[in-house]
Amino acid sequence: MDHSITLKINGEFYKLNVKSNVLLLDVIRDEIGLTGTKRGCDTGECGACTVLIEGEPVNSCLVLAIEVDGKDILTVEGLVKNGQLHPLQIAFVEEGAIQCGFCTPGVLLSAKALLNTNPNPTEEEIKTAIAGNLCRCTGYTKIIKAINSAAKKMQRKE
Amino acid sequence: MNTYVNIGKSEKRIDALEKVTGSAQYIDDIRIPGMLYAKIKRSAFPHANILNIDTSDAEKLLGVKAVVTGKEFAANFKNSFFGSPMADQPFLAVEKVRYVGEPIAVVAATSEEIAEDALDLIKVEYQLLPAVLNVQDALKNNAPLIHENTNNYRYSSNIKLVFNNNICSHIEIINGDIEQGFKEADFIFEDTFTDHSSHHVPIECRGAIAQFNPNGSITVWAPDQSPYGGRSLIADALRIPESKVRVITPTYIGGGFGGKLRLSGLMPIIAIAWKIKYHPVKILLTREEEFTSTTVRHAAIITLKTGVKKDGTIVSRHAKVMIDTGAYADRGPTVLGKISYGCTGPYKIPHVKVEAYCVYTNKVIAGAWRGYGIAQACWAYESQMDIIAMKLGIDPVDIRLKNIVDEGYITPTEKQEAHAVGLGKCLLQVKEDIFRKRKDRILENRVKGNGIACGYKISRTPSGCNAFVKLNSDLGADVFVSSIEMGQGVNTIFAQIVAEELTIPFDNIRVLPADTDITPFFPASTASRTTFFLGNAVKKAALDIKKQLFNIAKDILKADEQELSLKQGLIFVTKDPRKTVKISEIMEKTYPGGISFLGRGTFYHYKKENLPSHIKVKIPPTLVWMYASQGITIDVDTETGRIKILKVSAATDTGKTINPITCEGQIEGGVMQGIGHAMFEELIFDEKGKIINTSMLDYKIPSALDMPEINSILVEEPHREGPYGAKGIGEIVTVPTAAAIANAIYDAVGIRIKDLPITPDKLLRALNNKGKSI
Amino acid sequence: MIRKIKEFEYLNPSILSELISFLAEYKGRAKMFAGGTDVLIQLKERKLSPKYLIDIKNISELNYINYSESEGLKIGALVTHTSLANSEVIREKYSLLAEASLAVGVLQTRNRGTVVGNICNASPSADTLPALIALDATLKLVSFEGERIVKIEKFFTGPFKTILKETEVVTEIQIPSLPHHSGGAYLWLPKITSVDETLVGAAVVVNLEDLKNKICANARISLGSVAPIPFRAKMAENFVKGKKLESMICKEAGEITANESSPRSRAEYRKEMIKILVKRSLDKALKNINS
Repeated sequence: MDHSITLKINGEFYKLNVKSNVLLLDVIRDEIGLTGTKRGCDTGECGACTVLIEGEPVNSCLVLAIEVDGKDILTVEGLVKNGQLHPLQIAFVEEGAIQCGFCTPGVLLSAKALLNTNPNPTEEEIKTAIAGNLCRCTGYTKIIKAINSAAKKMQRKE
Repeated sequence: MNTYVNIGKSEKRIDALEKVTGSAQYIDDIRIPGMLYAKIKRSAFPHANILNIDTSDAEKLLGVKAVVTGKEFAANFKNSFFGSPMADQPFLAVEKVRYVGEPIAVVAATSEEIAEDALDLIKVEYQLLPAVLNVQDALKNNAPLIHENTNNYRYSSNIKLVFNNNICSHIEIINGDIEQGFKEADFIFEDTFTDHSSHHVPIECRGAIAQFNPNGSITVWAPDQSPYGGRSLIADALRIPESKVRVITPTYIGGGFGGKLRLSGLMPIIAIAWKIKYHPVKILLTREEEFTSTTVRHAAIITLKTGVKKDGTIVSRHAKVMIDTGAYADRGPTVLGKISYGCTGPYKIPHVKVEAYCVYTNKVIAGAWRGYGIAQACWAYESQMDIIAMKLGIDPVDIRLKNIVDEGYITPTEKQEAHAVGLGKCLLQVKEDIFRKRKDRILENRVKGNGIACGYKISRTPSGCNAFVKLNSDLGADVFVSSIEMGQGVNTIFAQIVAEELTIPFDNIRVLPADTDITPFFPASTASRTTFFLGNAVKKAALDIKKQLFNIAKDILKADEQELSLKQGLIFVTKDPRKTVKISEIMEKTYPGGISFLGRGTFYHYKKENLPSHIKVKIPPTLVWMYASQGITIDVDTETGRIKILKVSAATDTGKTINPITCEGQIEGGVMQGIGHAMFEELIFDEKGKIINTSMLDYKIPSALDMPEINSILVEEPHREGPYGAKGIGEIVTVPTAAAIANAIYDAVGIRIKDLPITPDKLLRALNNKGKSI
Repeated sequence: MIRKIKEFEYLNPSILSELISFLAEYKGRAKMFAGGTDVLIQLKERKLSPKYLIDIKNISELNYINYSESEGLKIGALVTHTSLANSEVIREKYSLLAEASLAVGVLQTRNRGTVVGNICNASPSADTLPALIALDATLKLVSFEGERIVKIEKFFTGPFKTILKETEVVTEIQIPSLPHHSGGAYLWLPKITSVDETLVGAAVVVNLEDLKNKICANARISLGSVAPIPFRAKMAENFVKGKKLESMICKEAGEITANESSPRSRAEYRKEMIKILVKRSLDKALKNINS
């Protein structure tokens, strides 16, 4: 049976007909064509599929599309505003926090959610916020540095 | 002293923007019209004859387009075994299965879901055979044979096989006279170390798309560290010309580490693509299949008998090595080679004997894994080095400094001149960083310890390769190479080299994804070889363009080529800088209407005269020596046995640091992967050869909360033939970690662990039985 | 093996009574879920293939944390681990429960997963269960037949098994007010990495007769991940009762607990960790009283 749902993703509305058993991750990637969100493990362990649902980081491989009808969803593609990169994206580039890039979309979103509620996090708080985003390449050092750097820049702007 | 514009700068990665905006392309982002979806039926048993496979019900399922079995595929392609250096692997199991998870049939359907359902309908009849699940059992006299006909397999002449048993290959190295050496020694140490099997766990699960074309050619899209290698394996197995096989890599790979190599785990896609000609068919492995059916790190048992003088000089070493290569050879024999040569460590040892065996077992295939056997050898020799140092009362850094090779020393196993040995500097930097702080106890039950280890790795010649560079009229450039960007940063390095040599803007240079129809030959993005070998080829290609430009400029500026210089896109007469012509002017005026400037570079280095003759196995010579040292400070909770890694000081010899930030990134990632392998990661097999922990819930890689402070120290000991003196560091960064941790544990609590992984259970048991080592 | 989820009919009640009728009508053929972090994996593994999947997230009347000194703490079925861990009243008055919720998985899981969901999933290694037992929690179970209040210790019958009937839903967790001079702690060790299932979790609530003498009036000690269901260390509780909670007593309590327990895998190590964690959590609970 098809369900008629409306997903609000990155500020845009998408009217879709989806079956009940379809995952949010697959709708984002296949129906809507936003392939920045990645599939890493399918069991909510690696965080590569992290999206923000109403500002909270969530593993989209463990969410059915129908569950989030009408909810506000942010994917990595939504970080750029008016052609400008988000300070976190800039910081990741400048601090060398990216290697293979597969975990990057998920980490960026977890970091954004952190800085939205905790603009001046300690290193431990940063680590806890991204503990669910596994990275095999960077050893996390420069990711944490980048989040720190972005936090400071964002605070100065305010 | 050279002053460079781009070289040595932490230029921003050229792939960074795509990756932070989510627009970077990986295999699962490639959609081809008409694509079908494949799923693989896998063996439930470690060793069994396949009596019958009934696919009729699966074929009838609505949406299923085809099903193929090993028997059917093999009937059309005789002796279609693939593998290098030994072709012992079928695309799909034919007569029997040799490990749990081995592919036996493939379904292609209009959706993944239908393909999955079809697997349930495939019925397989097995006749179970006794299985061997460890090397000791595999080597027993009456052990069941895993491969009955190894003499029928094609194999490279430089590996030595042993037939009619479960030994895949064998190496023996002799240098000097070990018995004489032991007589000269004041102390003899004999220790056995074991290293376990772990997985690369790239965050991206691999996949592939394959299509047979009406003209008899095959196109494969796959994230592969060796597109040319994968092409060669397929062509060789199917007896078709290599140019009939096209391997295209997506722009990026989500982590390789040696695992995504020559279509490892993906070869069944060829069989199903053949069956459903001419549709493209895609497979994406699940995380479970990544663990069970790709390749893993070789588990090893290494016994070192080492003779030393009382002043700490090593005189003799007898090494016995066994590695577990799983059900098929894959890269086992060459990993055996590396581990055998590597048993001496970076040390001067006049008398050496190494006896090494690569052994089959009925388990998942072991293959290339960052370090390629060197990490296992280092675990053994660096642990023993500290055992020796403690017993002799010599400082662990001093004993190493005493024994390490120096420039020009003819190494004991490779019998070649060591060159650009930055190891001494690395050791001293680490000592300075780690040992200068006192270790204070935090609490009664918390003890700190410091440990140090070092290692070396080689990269073999020829590793011949080419590169093309195309200079465009807007002074942007494109680099055509068959390496792949899997996070190590090579694309950025190539852009830096081209920018440096042609003095064009760095941020207008692109590196194309590898495509064996377009980009020229490169053996593989492995062995830490890309910067050195392919960097040289790219540099040559850029210089080729520069030469062409100077050839035109000389007439314009009325000077000889040698009298010209290039800076910021401007060619000028060195001694009279007012005489100038811009590169852009040359392009516009000499070629109105447009043109590209094409540069080509080839790097092929092969010293035939250095081939060792005394060694029973012929090996290609070594050109590049890579060195690193790590010092680790840990905090042990003696009540729980839990170890917290506080700090890692990692000094790595880059030769020349082309991009400091990417080098640091490699060190930091390598250290974490080393920690993961040493302490957290272990593939656990049940008594039926099945891996129990096949999800990321049960197989844990380090998270951000496990991260210690990592201090990356970049040491430069320039290599005379490296581009700007650069070497490679991709693997050496993960090699010394395990031994450094074990040495720190000994420093903290006096317990010597010789068997990886280091777990709190093991340490606590040892602490409770204090005095005994494990 | 992870596979595509089989199709099902999706139900989305917005009030509790609607849910109760669905459970009654589709008895045995329906599965409820809120956060989905456990249920979706079970669906992917085909451990469950229900005809009806009932999403209870829109029943807003189930989303609350209420506290009063007389009534104690009441937590609704839709409270997530993150909400619980952020709740000021819980952090102040029932800190061990906040600590237990923070020990659950990773942030992404905690943002979706509910405490009631954690209870109904009944994993032997769940963190909130021993904490709730130490707090003497009860559960309100509601069905078309009415309501019943069950002590949480009686709720679990085996790994992933509870007494919850197919027609019932757990709507609320009830935790009594703690008497004066009470303190609690939840300490845990992971199986392997810092972000991992719990190997041993120890939850302790102690109540002193008075602050000066530190004589234990009452103690509740519960362990997670050492038995098929959460384990209540009654022998150790009886041992500490009436004694001054000094280091040696806490240590012995740990040893008694270890001897009482019989973990199955990594048994030797787990027993050692039971000793250590019970001691350490008693120490910490004591400190929490003083502060």
